[in-house]
Amino acid sequence: MVLIVGGVVLITVNVILLSVTSKNQSTFGVGRVGLSFVAPFQELITRSVRFARGIWGHYFFLVSVSEQNDDLKKTLNYAIEKNNQWHEFELANIRLRNLLKFQKSLANRVVAAEVIGKDPSAWFKTVIIDKGKADGLQKGLPVVLPQGIAGQVIEVSDHYSKVMLIIDRNSAVDALVQRSRARGIIKGASADKCRFEFVLRKNDVQLGDTVVASGFDGVYPKGLRIGQISDLSERNSDIFYEITVTPFVDYEKLEEVLVILAPKIEAFASEQ
Amino acid sequence: MRYFFYIGTCLLLILVQTTILPHFNLFSEIYDLLIPFVIFLSICLPVRESLPFILVLGFIVDNLSGSPFGLYLTFYFWLFVGVRWIIKYLRAGNKLFLSLVVIVAVLLENILVMSTFALLGPIWPLPGEAVRNIALQVFWALVTGPLFLLSLLTISKRFNIQLNGAGAAPKT
Repeated sequence: MVLIVGGVVLITVNVILLSVTSKNQSTFGVGRVGLSFVAPFQELITRSVRFARGIWGHYFFLVSVSEQNDDLKKTLNYAIEKNNQWHEFELANIRLRNLLKFQKSLANRVVAAEVIGKDPSAWFKTVIIDKGKADGLQKGLPVVLPQGIAGQVIEVSDHYSKVMLIIDRNSAVDALVQRSRARGIIKGASADKCRFEFVLRKNDVQLGDTVVASGFDGVYPKGLRIGQISDLSERNSDIFYEITVTPFVDYEKLEEVLVILAPKIEAFASEQ
Repeated sequence: MRYFFYIGTCLLLILVQTTILPHFNLFSEIYDLLIPFVIFLSICLPVRESLPFILVLGFIVDNLSGSPFGLYLTFYFWLFVGVRWIIKYLRAGNKLFLSLVVIVAVLLENILVMSTFALLGPIWPLPGEAVRNIALQVFWALVTGPLFLLSLLTISKRFNIQLNGAGAAPKT
């Protein structure tokens, strides 16, 4: 009987307490003690677990990142290589467009060729091109570029030819000063210079004048640009100027050239 | 096998000299790389094998170059004769000897080239660029020539090529 009464009282008090605390949300200070005691441990454990999980997770993450990094590096290298290739294509495209434009401006039939080799000796300035007899080339044909004259074909095989550049010591081109029409011979002198010989001192020649082919040699079409006068001197005893011409063509960077198959020589005939 | 080695090396050197090196300004004035190879052939092969090879080599280079035809043929032939003569008296494997031979050969080739220019007109005094050209060639020959020659000798030994046609090692 006592137990039954005690139980009913306990349940009643409990219900009253619950109804009071549910309304006030208060623990009367007891909760704070427990919290203060347990929370540091909780924090420690939680952080340790998180740390361990972080290490574990990051390790695997780093492994995957490392793999991803390798993949990205490969992709980047590939992209760089492609970019470089496209840049080369772009440059080749520009050069070829210029050649095509120049080709259209020439009245003669021309063949585009690629330079595939250079002279084994530093003393001689010749190049090998990838066109030969099969493409209609023959000895003596002029080789040009949009910038100016490159040289002439001196040897031909079935599919390849040797071209002597105008900077070679053995080369000679009949030329004119474009402004004053003073005539002389352009001869190869060094790696990037030519001598303009036999120009009489009575003629008007100035630094910076453009020199063009005269067409009188029967090889190079008249009016093709050669270079610019970069040095000019007069010796008292000599009747000729001493002239150095810097060609417009950069022979160190020669990649594609045009061979004029049937150079017009009417100009030569009419001048005569 | 050794003929493949000779032909392969020869082709490689010609290709390097005419297509690869011109792309590098640093090597624009390098000496004729076939000089050490001709010296190597002269030292290591019997006359009946080396002479035809050297003549063909000279012919090929003459074809590729804008030089007067026969210049390289002449030079390689006389270089061969000179080296054959000199190894009768000196040790072929001596590094000093190899350096000297390469440098002298480079100088002689330049003299021969200048002589052909002289046929076309006066060349004296030499323009500054010609002097610089020769100096650079000698420099490169001094730096790389003996190494190159020694490498060829070592590689040929590795290939177990019979030296002097009788399986003998070069006189060192």
